[in-house]
Amino acid sequence: MTHLSIKGLTKRFSGQTEAAVADLNLEIESGSLVALLGPSGCGKTTTMKMIAGLLEPTAGDILFDKQSILRIAPERRGAVMVFQNYLLFPYMSIAQNVGYGLKIRKIDRAIIDQRVREILELVRLPGLESRYPKELSGGQQQRVALARALVVEPRLLLLDEPLSNLDAHLRFELRDLIRDIQQKMGITTVFVTHDQEEAVVLADKVALILDGKLRQYDNADAYYKRPADEETARFFGGQNFVAGRSANGVFEAPLGSLSLPQGAHEGSGILTFRPENVRIGAAATGENSLQARLVDKIFMGTQTRLRLSVGDETITAIANPNDVEGYLVDQEVPLALPSSALWVLKN
Amino acid sequence: MNWERVRIPLMLGPTLAIITILFFGSLGFGFIQSLGYQPQIGKTEISLDAYYAVMFSDRSASQFWPGLALTLWVATVSTFLSAALAVSLALLLRRTFFGKKLSVFLFQLNLPIPHLVIAIGMLLLFAQSGLVARFAGSIGLIDAPRDFPVLTRDPYGLGIILAYIWKETAFFGIIVMAVLQSLGEDYEAVAQSLGANRWQRFRTVTLPLLMPGLMSASIIVFAFTFGSYEVPRILGVQHPKMMPVLALEYFLNPDLNARSEGMALSIIIAVIVFALVFLYMYISARTVRKN
Repeated sequence: MTHLSIKGLTKRFSGQTEAAVADLNLEIESGSLVALLGPSGCGKTTTMKMIAGLLEPTAGDILFDKQSILRIAPERRGAVMVFQNYLLFPYMSIAQNVGYGLKIRKIDRAIIDQRVREILELVRLPGLESRYPKELSGGQQQRVALARALVVEPRLLLLDEPLSNLDAHLRFELRDLIRDIQQKMGITTVFVTHDQEEAVVLADKVALILDGKLRQYDNADAYYKRPADEETARFFGGQNFVAGRSANGVFEAPLGSLSLPQGAHEGSGILTFRPENVRIGAAATGENSLQARLVDKIFMGTQTRLRLSVGDETITAIANPNDVEGYLVDQEVPLALPSSALWVLKN
Repeated sequence: MNWERVRIPLMLGPTLAIITILFFGSLGFGFIQSLGYQPQIGKTEISLDAYYAVMFSDRSASQFWPGLALTLWVATVSTFLSAALAVSLALLLRRTFFGKKLSVFLFQLNLPIPHLVIAIGMLLLFAQSGLVARFAGSIGLIDAPRDFPVLTRDPYGLGIILAYIWKETAFFGIIVMAVLQSLGEDYEAVAQSLGANRWQRFRTVTLPLLMPGLMSASIIVFAFTFGSYEVPRILGVQHPKMMPVLALEYFLNPDLNARSEGMALSIIIAVIVFALVFLYMYISARTVRKN
């Protein structure tokens, strides 16, 4: 169980003007599972490699349990990284792969065999000890890579896009497995992903990194209810952004005057609300009720996506197909924006 | 008839025919001659006399066995040292440093230079009357050129080994650098992350991953150094002579009866190379598996 602190971490590659990671600060509680989320090239894997010691930071510090580890060689940090493409040693059997970390620590052969058996059972791959990596499926190989990391009981487990090379079914299965094992062993775990759903489902907390900078570090639901800025909201599927001004709990915008929840930002700002929180038709009662014109309606199977115009603004809503079946394009549609679903971003 | 099924064999046919005729034709012809079949001088009887004469006759045995030992020694040491040097240099050249491009260029510079030129260059540089000896004498490191160590035309084949290392390290280097580039450094990063130090990473990860490429290159270099003529001819001594030099001397002997012995010696070289290559492949495959 290790507490991880990242303080002002910066990485600038030679020949590049922009920092790959800029002044990153994070506190990761011991035993927690944290996702570093962001699009490709945002600096999340670079951050992970700096934690593992595979890259040297340009500035800043990394601390395990309040002790800086920058001067400790990567092989002695106890931060074990599992790579996206598994990287099992092709010339070793599964048992040799899993036992690799123990063998180089010169641990007794009998103990290694026993630990390998136990850990393979934990990742639900018993009996595969004598096979070779090429004889295993992608999902099995990823589990072996996980077992190889877990067997050395790392202080910190680092998972780089652990599910991205797997098909949907295997991804769900392995996601649950990672969560189960992490809870069982209590290893502080950081994983990198570009998939917001994966981050939300798997992690205790999510750190969103965009362009090498930390935008928000919060529980998953905060990204939906209280995004830090417009880009963060858009990354999590936000589609409604209305400029205006708030004062005394009311937001004045081209949509009209809308009641805000307590504690909302005062002054000029951007109002945002999620498409799924817009109430349509019979449900459109109570506060912040408006009349809109239906611009577009797209049936998407389990839900229907609507574009509605209110004055000069166009907003997007997602509704149950049965609730909006009767509405036609250009028809007037009642809608409501409950104040609890509204959030004002600073300009 | 399904045209598609025979199209590729037919297209490959002419090339395969040339390779087969040249390889098996010359090997077969040489083998027949080694059995004493030389109708042009009236010898039509088949026997193993030439093999016996080369290996056990009073005249040849004293040349054959020391020659075989020297050939094995030179080929093994040259192959091993060239491979080791190439791996070390390739690992160094993988890092980023000032002058890397120039270093890579220099590393591979002697690839297109013929072995003959390398051998003569070695002689000019490292003989007791060579440039290095004279330079050492002129700055007072040695009193006279004869004090310079015997590095060429020496009984241990040091000059020959040095020439082969000089030449073959570049050949190994190209293969090792290509393999290292295709592998990247992620496997080593995994091992390091799991706790392996630099030496453990090299021994348990880098080397086993390099082994298939190294093995193939070693087979080529070993077979070449075992059967090559010009370098030992220029840098070798009168006794012992390396096997290819001996074989050619038999073959070029004005006495046509010696030709069978030259061919027998050539066939022995081929058999030894095949046997050692198979043994080497077997041992290497086992080592890779074990590691």
